Amino acid sequence: MPILEVKNLKVRLADQIVLENTDFVLGKGDTLAVIGPNGSGKTTLLRAILGALSYEGEIILAPETRIGYVPQKIDLERDLPITVQEFLLLKSMQGESSAYSPRQALELVNLSADFLKKRIGELSAGEFQRALIAWAVIDRPNLLLFDEPTASVDVAGQETVYELLHRLHDKYDLTLILISHDLTVVYRYANKVLCLNRAQVCFGAPSEVLTPQELEKLYGGGHKFYHHTHEKT
Amino acid sequence: MDANLLKIFIAAGLIAASGGMLGSLALLRRMALVGDALSHVALPGVALGILFHFNPFLGALIFLVFGTFVIWAVEHKTKLPVDTLVGVMFTLALAVGALLTPKEDILDALFGDISNISSLDFWLASITSIVIIILLLMFYKKFTLSLISPDLALAAGQKPHMLELLFLMIFAFAVAVGIKFTGALLMGSLIIIPAATSRNISKSMNQYLTLSALLGVLGAVLGVLVSYFYGFSPGPTFVLFSGAIFFISIFFRR
Repeated sequence: MPILEVKNLKVRLADQIVLENTDFVLGKGDTLAVIGPNGSGKTTLLRAILGALSYEGEIILAPETRIGYVPQKIDLERDLPITVQEFLLLKSMQGESSAYSPRQALELVNLSADFLKKRIGELSAGEFQRALIAWAVIDRPNLLLFDEPTASVDVAGQETVYELLHRLHDKYDLTLILISHDLTVVYRYANKVLCLNRAQVCFGAPSEVLTPQELEKLYGGGHKFYHHTHEKT
Repeated sequence: MDANLLKIFIAAGLIAASGGMLGSLALLRRMALVGDALSHVALPGVALGILFHFNPFLGALIFLVFGTFVIWAVEHKTKLPVDTLVGVMFTLALAVGALLTPKEDILDALFGDISNISSLDFWLASITSIVIIILLLMFYKKFTLSLISPDLALAAGQKPHMLELLFLMIFAFAVAVGIKFTGALLMGSLIIIPAATSRNISKSMNQYLTLSALLGVLGAVLGVLVSYFYGFSPGPTFVLFSGAIFFISIFFRR
């Protein structure tokens, strides 16, 4: 049984069609990478799945699906007088007994319990991103939406955000949807890829659908795409 | 201490506590000036109350609830530029209020006077303030989340627009009771100053909320005391003390 089914999705923002003809199905444990140029409707798709904007067509979630969402960036003011612990508790307040404690949630993303008492503004960009992931997984979602994780902010020697997501995915049988610009990431971590350019351009296994022709169609000609692998050092 | 002074202390303290607490949430999204702008809308209501001999609190409240609903609706249901419209509406309300208010009452309406509080007003102000504090405590996590990040609030399954309406309605009640203390012009101080001071020195949300309320009470007690013994108007005196504490707090920024 699919966990998410999107049928003939169409989204208008201010009378402009920003996304249409989108159809795909995800099963439990799938990792879907959404790729496409800027303004191609990637974030719009995530927001539609979240139910944060109105759309035409159908988005069917399996019963009991809990969605976790990590936004691309949130405009939190740096001097907010709020600690990481308080921030995490803002979400897990619904009294769900299955939710993690803030301490456990931080453990999942490899942040020590010392961070509980720190203010949000004291975190580095990388630490803050981890805190946001902790926020997203604290109530044990089974579908995690991730808008453009940036791998660049990680300290050398630590696991990257992608490795972190991959670990969570394996351990908890999460279904993942992530927006990414990095084709290396798509090949390494995703078993399905969805190409968007205001409409669905391709969908399928990365090795099958990411042909140079498709990529040229997606991003326009004149660009060279190559798939490079990073060897672990 | 005579009974009247005690009544003034209690009413002013509760009004300032609820205003401070509300302000701490409003300042999360730089909504500080909403209180200021909103208080102008109350003036025609206050004027009508004075003219037609019903409680000005009631008149203020009706205009405020209507005003907040219009702001909310304009923001979410239309594509009109909110700040422009709000600016026009509020100055218009102030002008209408200024024309309607009888001359001998205009100072009280603009700068407040809690020193002659009636029994009815005492109970109205105290009970409303307590209800505001209770509501804020009940919803503070939801308000906090939807104020600091509407996106995350949506992801957590909240309805930010409805929460915002509730928050603005609480705001309207807080302004309606605050006007008795500081008047329409200085109402914003109850919302802004204690919270801004608290924000300078707080390390956590709990501290921030508690301290905002306590600093409001401290300013109110000092303001009422000094005005009682020296015959000043309590509203402006509150603003002076709270402002002074704010400037001191700048040196203790964490």
